[in-house]
Amino acid sequence: MLVQTILIILIAFFAYMHCYVGSTMHNRPIVIAPLVGLALGDFHTGIVLGATLELVFMGAFPIGASNPPDFVSGTIISTAYVVLTGQEVASAVVLAVPIATLVLLLDNVQMTVLLTWASHIADKYAEKGDINGVERVQIIAGIGNKILLALVVGLGFVLGVPVIEKILKYIPEFVTHGLDVAAGVIPAIGFAMLARMMLTKKSIPFLLLGFVMAAYLNLPVIGVALFGVAAALVYYNATMTKKTEVAYDDNEF
Amino acid sequence: MTTNSNEAKVISPESTITKKDFWKCFRRSCTLDSSWNYERMQNLAFAYMMAPIIRRLYKDEEKRAAALKRHMEFMSVTPHISTLLVGVAGAMEEENAKNEEFDASSINAVKSSLMGPLAGIGDAFFWGTLKLIAAGVGISLASQGNIMGAILFLLIINVPHFILRYICLDKGFKYGAKFFKDLSMSNVVSKVTESVSLLGLVVIGGMTAANVSFELPIMIGSGEWAEPLQGYLDQIMPCLLPACIFLFIYWLLGKKVKTTTILLGSIVICILLSLAGVV
Repeated sequence: MLVQTILIILIAFFAYMHCYVGSTMHNRPIVIAPLVGLALGDFHTGIVLGATLELVFMGAFPIGASNPPDFVSGTIISTAYVVLTGQEVASAVVLAVPIATLVLLLDNVQMTVLLTWASHIADKYAEKGDINGVERVQIIAGIGNKILLALVVGLGFVLGVPVIEKILKYIPEFVTHGLDVAAGVIPAIGFAMLARMMLTKKSIPFLLLGFVMAAYLNLPVIGVALFGVAAALVYYNATMTKKTEVAYDDNEF
Repeated sequence: MTTNSNEAKVISPESTITKKDFWKCFRRSCTLDSSWNYERMQNLAFAYMMAPIIRRLYKDEEKRAAALKRHMEFMSVTPHISTLLVGVAGAMEEENAKNEEFDASSINAVKSSLMGPLAGIGDAFFWGTLKLIAAGVGISLASQGNIMGAILFLLIINVPHFILRYICLDKGFKYGAKFFKDLSMSNVVSKVTESVSLLGLVVIGGMTAANVSFELPIMIGSGEWAEPLQGYLDQIMPCLLPACIFLFIYWLLGKKVKTTTILLGSIVICILLSLAGVV
């Protein structure tokens, strides 16, 4: 148990540090769940859960001032639970979402209080022209808040998994089945959020094209994406040449 | 031609910024989101990115303080291409260090005018499109238990990511403020954003059909003629229900319904449908 807890904390730290090493997105469920599986002795289940949870957290991405549920904690604890108890995949979904929401609350406290405070300390160093001081604050605050989050995940793992096990025993069959169904529906929220970000009246046909290619032609995603690249290039070239043609016409007159 | 090997290599003949500073900025740009706060977002990390340049250009404390304070201001941009801002701001700081007449307040003016369009492209490209394609490819492999799913996911995102991160820093320093200011005024930025969004939308359409699932296996009719309701629905159109669900959620989001509400709502509805034996 001790070794497992240490491994879980290390995986969590590794995941949270993604935004210290280039926002590489290695904190996503599809990468983290296999690691948890590997650490707890069931690599295969970890990989499959990674795919499921990646879909569940499809809409979880940081844009501007909005912060998504903390899917790292949600992924780690729910994967650990499923791997250790041999429960169904559906129970990972029921666990991941509330845990992620809870830890986001905690992270929000961190981002409103602790990290704002850190930036105020850095202000004071900046006032004095102390470059080393500012650098120190960034390194300590940047890594420090990830250590805190990783410890929270470790605590959740030690205290949470036995409790969760007891509670889930009493959940009736229709609820687990309902959650299984919900796991199929939830990705639609993520896709709809992305569409809200990018869709305009003019671009509706492109959404439809992608849908038709997958639904009727059963093209895999990479094929759909390559079609999208072609469509985007055609659009870009068409709109850019139109512009220069107009300019050319103006010259002629 | 002889070069003094004791002298550090600079990024261009006119510049005092060294190659070493360049790579320090590059490495530090990777920490942009790590100290994100609600007040000024990525300000602390941005000052950290600029620190090697400030140290190189300004020797007295007063000027260092002024420069540090400039870069402790509000900052919000897609982390992967934030290096463009460092390059542009770095080129301007250098101008400011050389030229007494230079208006230092223009550095932040340029930074904030570039931030918006850059975040627009960056978010549409990295979060809206590239991450989506990577997830689509990764999920299809991972759901069969293949670890290549995770590996391809990381490669599809990070190979273009690190190339772009480098190009942005390099071009930012090279062309400086003027070029990119002109660019943000021209329609190139909006056209690129639009094109990238189109690609994203094609993939969203495809992934909605491939990855959202909802079926109604309940039997309709009686005795010999009983058939699952899903069979009729499939005859109308494949993936009809997932498409309806997608449109309904899209509509709810437009009504400013919170995503958490939608999330919990869909879980509750699915459990109720399961209780009723419909799904």
